[in-house]
Amino acid sequence: MTGSNNSALRVLRSMWLLVVLLLLYVPIASVVLASLANTRYMRFPHRVWSLDAYAQALGTYTTANLHLTSLSIAVAVVIVSVIIASFGALAFARYDWAGRKLFRRLVLLPVFFPQPVLGLALLLYLTALGIVPDWKTAAFAHIVWVVPIVTLVISIRLYHYDVAQEEAAFDLGATRLQVFREITLPALAPGIVSGALFAFLLSWSNLPISVFTSGADTTLPEWLYSRTATNYSPLVPAVAVIGTAASAAIVLLAAALRPVFTRKR
Amino acid sequence: MTSLPVALLLAAGFLAPIAIVAIYSIMPARTFVLTGSVTPENYVAAFTEGYWRPLMWSVSGALLTTILCLLLAWPTAKALKSLEGYRATFVTILIALPIFISESVRLFGFSLFLMPAGGILAGTMDAAFDVSIGSILNTRTAALLGMVYVHFPFVLFPLLLGLSQIPEEQREAARDLGASNWQLMREIDAPLAAPGALIGALFCFVLALGANAEMRILGGQSVTVITHAIEQRFNYAQDWPMGAALTMLVIAITALLVLPVFRRIDIDRLIRR
Repeated sequence: MTGSNNSALRVLRSMWLLVVLLLLYVPIASVVLASLANTRYMRFPHRVWSLDAYAQALGTYTTANLHLTSLSIAVAVVIVSVIIASFGALAFARYDWAGRKLFRRLVLLPVFFPQPVLGLALLLYLTALGIVPDWKTAAFAHIVWVVPIVTLVISIRLYHYDVAQEEAAFDLGATRLQVFREITLPALAPGIVSGALFAFLLSWSNLPISVFTSGADTTLPEWLYSRTATNYSPLVPAVAVIGTAASAAIVLLAAALRPVFTRKR
Repeated sequence: MTSLPVALLLAAGFLAPIAIVAIYSIMPARTFVLTGSVTPENYVAAFTEGYWRPLMWSVSGALLTTILCLLLAWPTAKALKSLEGYRATFVTILIALPIFISESVRLFGFSLFLMPAGGILAGTMDAAFDVSIGSILNTRTAALLGMVYVHFPFVLFPLLLGLSQIPEEQREAARDLGASNWQLMREIDAPLAAPGALIGALFCFVLALGANAEMRILGGQSVTVITHAIEQRFNYAQDWPMGAALTMLVIAITALLVLPVFRRIDIDRLIRR
């Protein structure tokens, strides 16, 4: 192979990546562009560019309420799924035990499952149990789907973990609690932080499960979904931008605090 | 025993709901109890009353999405792999980020882009070049593009993981022995990346099988997909057993594809670096 051939290939590859990135971000940019209008109907390019829609969005009760619902669900999902998944990850990645193979398949099943079908099945199940769906059932439904994913995320970090450390600590006379606090937990910590971020973002942005399991409560993605078809106004893209920015802000804040959680003892 | 919390959660929140759906699916039509007499009528109706149409739309849509995603993901994964150091990380993160922006936001943006006349694309073309173009919004093509857009990362990342495990020495050795680019791809890249590609394709197919929002937002109801048909049975028709039978058919298709792959693929090898 000649040198010029190689560099031509490199240029071609860079251009391809550029096109892929462009295509991935065009819809997102479109939402931002559409939000900068003050007319009821979309007529791009806007005659007047304005931030009116944002002022309106920030001033309404609906926006606050939607964010509160999504936030309540996401916080519940993060707390519960991180705890359950940390235990799950230990069983998944580290300890050798008889049912491990079966357990792994069970954990992977909900990930390889159509989300709306899971939502529908849970709706039927809840109704059969006589439970009226609201944001709490949506949180439960999210947890069912998020826990396996967080388990995988924490497991990946645990593969580098050496069980011998724990055994050594026991040999040196450490109690079970001490071993957990001093060895197991610090090893889990980085995975737990990534897992918590995954849990938050997946719950915050979820549409297909929420649609069926949140009952009368409405999450942010659900509201956007219902308003894309009917009742369009620049308020809709403005709320979409605010909602996405809010989740980005929360993630950046968590990332900034990350050293606090994972510091070495 | 650290497996207990996850196992209990999945038993109560995943297996039990599927069991309830399974029982409902063999109850008499339009009933709401789980203790009726067992009947196969809902499954018979699923095939005689035209429900195979939405099912076929969903299956063929998912298949087409998977094929297109694989075709797009292969060169993308190769190009990403050829980048070095921080550039590779940067581009990878940029590609991954949209996954965490809600599907409803991204599909909404897609529809704003494609909108006729005042849409982002049509409006720009009109203002900048004085060209008025048509729109593919509310067609099956638009819905398919939306499906590819949403599911592309789910094929790309497993594929990338698979490709990253091919030792560079092996490729160099083959090249030293005079292998052409085509041979390199056929004899080394393709077989070694196969587990990653298979996982990605499976992931994509299963997720796309239930896809509903793409058709609603971009397809303009030009086609009824299976999830939509099930939802209609549950909500408007109040026929739970029929909806349950259709749900079971989707679950059966999923299980038929997923379970054999799980048996064959070694998760340890794919995750561990």
